[in-house]
Amino acid sequence: MTIYEVFLKPAGRQEFRHAGALDAATDELALVSARECYVRRGEGDHLWVVRRDNIIDAGSEFVAPNADKPHRHHSGEAVAARRRSLREQALTEADDDD
Amino acid sequence: MTEAPRELAPLDPAVGEYLLAFADDEHMMGQQHTEWIGVAPFLEEDLAFASIAQDELGHAAALYAIVAGDSSDATIDALAFGRSPRGYRSCQLVEASLPAWEDTLIRHWCYDLAEAARWQLLVSSSNADIANLAVRALREEHFHIRHCDALLDTLLKDPDASRRLAGALERQLPLLESIWAPVAGETETIAASIASAPIESCRLEWQSTIEARFGRQQWSPQAPTARTLRHPDFAALHARINEVLLIDPDAVW
Repeated sequence: MTIYEVFLKPAGRQEFRHAGALDAATDELALVSARECYVRRGEGDHLWVVRRDNIIDAGSEFVAPNADKPHRHHSGEAVAARRRSLREQALTEADDDD
Repeated sequence: MTEAPRELAPLDPAVGEYLLAFADDEHMMGQQHTEWIGVAPFLEEDLAFASIAQDELGHAAALYAIVAGDSSDATIDALAFGRSPRGYRSCQLVEASLPAWEDTLIRHWCYDLAEAARWQLLVSSSNADIANLAVRALREEHFHIRHCDALLDTLLKDPDASRRLAGALERQLPLLESIWAPVAGETETIAASIASAPIESCRLEWQSTIEARFGRQQWSPQAPTARTLRHPDFAALHARINEVLLIDPDAVW
């Protein structure tokens, strides 16, 4: 048996999303099983099954260091405040010209 | 989404008899599949069988609604559950309890091949409700058969599984052929252009499909068991399908 990861794309302009996994002996069995196990209520209009072995897994250590970089986060508040200030300043100058 | 109950065109009683046999087959086949929930050999098949069972029960409910002329749950339930065993017209194939997985798999495949052939006789029906249902059901049967074919393709490569499946087929041949038992009302149903041909006309192709996979078979020379005769397992099956309903027949679900 091979483990397959199952992805579904909900109808409309939605992206494929991971739905789950299953065991199957062949690609065809993986497809027909995924259809009965994951899409029986029309949860998607497209179905992918991917052998888990074919996924290139970076491992958690590969991305772990990037979880500790607060300087790469911003809330946007400083930029928003500066834009607001410039907008108000421009309005004030326009009033003075009148 | 559940459709609102609606009244359907009244049927000739003979046509009703013809459709009732098909509805009973679908009902009992669906019920038999549901009984594998939790005990199928592996989880994926457990879920697949339950899903296929729901399709078959859906076909049965739609046929019962057409027979009764009313698609309300109460009407469908009365016809599906409320008859005495003598009132059913299912074939013995779908009434038998088959506790071995290989027997069940062979039944699933052979039944669905025959079922698809029977729906094909109804796709050009003069009754629009029946024709629409046949088109919908055939779309579903295509995937049921594909599912079973995929399983058989894999299992038949394994010598032990192959031997068990061939044995199951041989053991069940007379039971499998009960699906071709004559159906009351067939002549009138064909005369009314509701079915395009007798179901017997599909039998040779069905046998050929089975032999293409499993080699020559010793088909029984005897006529299939009549649909008025219940299989010895039916009484217990009938009790099981009514078990919950009879706790409170007036309950609203």
